[in-house]
Order: sequence, then C-alpha cells, then structure tokens
Amino acid sequence: MSDAPQPAVEIRGLTKDFPLNLRGLRLRAVDDLTLEIPRGCVHGLLGPNGSGKSTTIKVLLGLLRRTRGTCRVLGCESDDPAVRARIGYLPESPDFHRFLTGRELVRYYARLCGVARAGREARAAEMLEWVGLTAAADRRIGSYSKGMLQRVGLAQALVHDPELVILDEPTAGVDPVGSADIVRLILKLKEAGKTVLVTSHLLAQAEDVCDRIAILNRGKLIAAGTVDQLVSRSGALSFVVEGMPPDAVGELRAWLDTRGWRLASAGPHRSRLDELFLERIRKSEEGA
Amino acid sequence: MSAISSSLSRVGTIAGNTFLEAVRQRFFIALLVLAAGLLVSTEFLREFNFGASEVRFIADIGFGALVLFGSVLTITVTAQLFFAEIESRTALTLLAKPVRRGEFIVGKFLGVWLVVLIFCVIVTLLVCAVLATREAEILAADPDAGDALVSYGAVIAAAAVQWVKFGVLGAITLLLGSYSNTNLFSVATALLVLVICHLQYLARDVWERGGSAVAQVGAGLLGLLFPNFQLFNLADLVTAGEPFGAALIVRVTLYGLAYIAVFLALASFSFRRREI
Repeated sequence: MSDAPQPAVEIRGLTKDFPLNLRGLRLRAVDDLTLEIPRGCVHGLLGPNGSGKSTTIKVLLGLLRRTRGTCRVLGCESDDPAVRARIGYLPESPDFHRFLTGRELVRYYARLCGVARAGREARAAEMLEWVGLTAAADRRIGSYSKGMLQRVGLAQALVHDPELVILDEPTAGVDPVGSADIVRLILKLKEAGKTVLVTSHLLAQAEDVCDRIAILNRGKLIAAGTVDQLVSRSGALSFVVEGMPPDAVGELRAWLDTRGWRLASAGPHRSRLDELFLERIRKSEEGA
Repeated sequence: MSAISSSLSRVGTIAGNTFLEAVRQRFFIALLVLAAGLLVSTEFLREFNFGASEVRFIADIGFGALVLFGSVLTITVTAQLFFAEIESRTALTLLAKPVRRGEFIVGKFLGVWLVVLIFCVIVTLLVCAVLATREAEILAADPDAGDALVSYGAVIAAAAVQWVKFGVLGAITLLLGSYSNTNLFSVATALLVLVICHLQYLARDVWERGGSAVAQVGAGLLGLLFPNFQLFNLADLVTAGEPFGAALIVRVTLYGLAYIAVFLALASFSFRRREI
C-alpha cells in the first residue's frame, strides 16, 4: 500500500449531462474528466465560459448529481453531506441574505457548520477581521459593495476552518485593489496549509497564485500540471538586464550567434499593468 | 454533539433565519394591518343593534379574517421564502454546508409556521379584545342576556386548529415548490389546492351517493390525497354557539400533523432530486 498522502480531490471519469428537452436531448457540461488535487496546494481550474468549471465544483459539493464517474473529496464520496463540514465554498457572484448584517451572516453559517456556541462569536469576529470587514461587520449586507460581498463570502466559507476551500471566480467583478486583496487572502490560506481550488478567468492572476493548473474546454481536460510545467518553454531562458543600452543588443545577438544560440526577443522590460495599477494606487493613498 | 442534535440545531438555525426574514417583510405587516382593520371595523356594526347575535357576527368576521389572510400569508410567504433562496442563490452556500435537503425543507417550514403562529396569536387576541368589549357593553345594557355570551377558550381552540391547518397548507406549498420552477406557479397551484381541500367533502358526498365501486374508490382517493379542510372549521361551531370537546381538537390536530409529516417527507424527497 502506498504511503503517499491521499489527495484532497480525486475525480475519475466524471461526466455530467443536463437534459435540454423532453425528447432526451442533453448538453454534456463535463466530459470524462479525471483530475487529482494534492493536499496543501492552490489548484487553478481554468477555462472559457461554459467549459464546465462551475459544474465540476457543484458536483464536488453535491449540489449537482453526476451522470457518470466518481468524485472523492478528502477521502469521502462527494455527495456525503458530512464531508461538507470540511469544505468552504464561495460561489461565483455570491449573494447573501440582505436583511442580515455581516456579523449575523457569518454567525449563521458558523451555526450551520456546527461551530461550538462558546467560540462562535469570537470565530466570526476573527474571520471578519481576517477579510478586512470589521468596520462594516454590523452593517446590513444589502449595503455592501461587490468586493465586500466577496469578502464576507470568504469569511462564511472559512468560518468553520475547512481543510479544502473552493472559490468560484473569487475576483469576478471586483476592482483591481479588491482583487489583489483576495489574492493575498488565498496566499494566506496556502500558508495556513489549506488546499484551495480556485477558478478564474484572469490567467495572469492564476499564474501568480496557483501551484497547479487544469484547463478545461467544452467539458474536457485539455491541460494539467504545475504552473512551471505548463508555462515554461523548454530550451529557452529569459533575463532582465539592467543598464544595458539598446544599441548593445546587436552586439549581444552577434555574440550569441557565434555560440550557436539565437536571441528570440529583446526589448524594454515592462511592468504588468496590474502591478503598475496597484503600485500607483498604493502611492496615491500613501500621499493622501 | 450527536448526529440528531446536530441535525436539530441546523433545522432550528434555518427556521430562525426564515422567521427573521419573514417578519422583516412588509407583506406580513400589511396582512396583519388588513386583518386588524377588518376586525376593528366591526365596531361600526353596533349601529345595527344585533343584540346577542352581534357577538357571533363579530366572531364570524374575526375568523373570516384569520382564515383568509392566514391562508394568503402562509402560501405567499412559504413560496416566496423558498424561491428567494433558490433565485438569489443563497441556497448554493447554504446547501454547500453540511445541511441535508430535508433539514432545509423542515427548517423553512418551521420558520414560516412560526410566522403564521405570531399572525394567528395577534389576530386571535384582537378578536377576543373586540368580543370582550362588545360583550361587556351588551351585558351592561341587558342584564337578562346571561352571564357570558362568548366562550373564549373555544375561540382560542378554534384559532389553534386553524394554525394547524395553515401548517398543512405550508407543507403543501413547499411540496409544490420543491419541484416547480417558479414562485408564481407554486402560489397559483397552492391556492387551487386550498380550494380543493375546502370543497373536497362536497365531491366526496356526491361520489359516495353515486354508489358505484369506482365512485367509492375515487372518493376515497380524493379524501386521501387532499386533506379535508372543513374538519378544521371549529370556528363554525364557535359562532353557532355549539360546544365541542377536547377529543375533537386532538383528533383534528393529529389529522393535520399526519398530513404535515407526509407532505414534508414528500417535499424533502422531491427536493433531494433537485439540482441547484
């Protein structure tokens, strides 16, 4: 018997069909998907709209029934309600009971997850502080912005200290500052040893935050592996050289040619737009 | 914590949240004001000088308000709160917790039933207050009218039995909501079922008098599928001044509770198969 730790998620041959009409026409949302997510990593599930990411997540949570295949989460069948006490879930564009305050909402979900009464209040306060909502904790959720909804959603997902955290498009519709906050929270979860399964349309962000990535298209898995495995070009290296004048590039190219190597690209080093945006915002707030 | 107490805790949590959501809706307050308004308007009927029968008339109006507005409240609030969870997708986060579908259904039911209880208590207290005021005035004006014109115990018992009936109606609405796709369909169908349940005894009488075996079986099935809401109308006995015993109250209550259990079990089974 292998001593390898059991993966957090094991999906084998998962197929999910949705009936479209009474004549038996069906839409295949997930097609024979096999995927393993090791414990303790941040795993990205990427793909265009309609690729089957959210459907896969809903099957993992027992919200949808699988047509074929097996899904095991933290060693249990995914449709066992008991396993959901060990999973935290933030749906895409979440909405919550608007008549509750942020604190009441987190407390409500804590009670549903069986968080002991003695520590419930403190745990809710801790989670609200963790997501930066302490100041707005006693405001009605109806008055929250989109970014605040995502953050209170994250607080409810984490209030019972789950082993596996599933985040469906956690940065969708959130401004770049809020989005960067959420990325920081995901990295904090990773530091805390949690397994995180995250779907995103923002590929650069996924590259920054994920250890492993799986790409789906039309319900099929088309690529999977570590980020380095997927994005590295074999036999090529990249350098960022400081202080080199542009006219010296020709000299460098000539030298590389003498060694039988080819300079594939050279140009001014550019920051990524999201890095530039966040840096400028931070500076303007420091100056204010 | 044992599995049963955990389950009860989750049901209680969902019921509490449902109750809070319902009482914060203006609809609940609006119906309460309407019912109270209807009841207080009986004060103006004193000009007609009905004498002792005026008290029965007031009780009739009061129970009419309770039955009408209570039924509307039960159906609309049950359907609205159930579909609000599905349509606003709060059900996604809720059912992604260790909450079983049956616990969700029972929690929703208990939350709404508690709201309806508050409604029944307030309307019944109002009925009793209006009755007591008028009874005192009549007795003061006519000492020969007797010691008491109203049995308040019977009024409260009749209202309590109505609350059990609203429970059956709420469970039926949840069963309809568990497989239908829209709030409107559930409300419309539940109203139709309400009418059938009130009139099913007439259809049964006609079929049973028909005499054929098929008619007998049909009548039996109708009586089994749709609870007979006329049985809950103890208010008719109150307003007719006919006494009724505790045995009748217990029998009707058990009849209602049995239907509630069956409809909730069916709703849970149906909702378990629903994809969110």
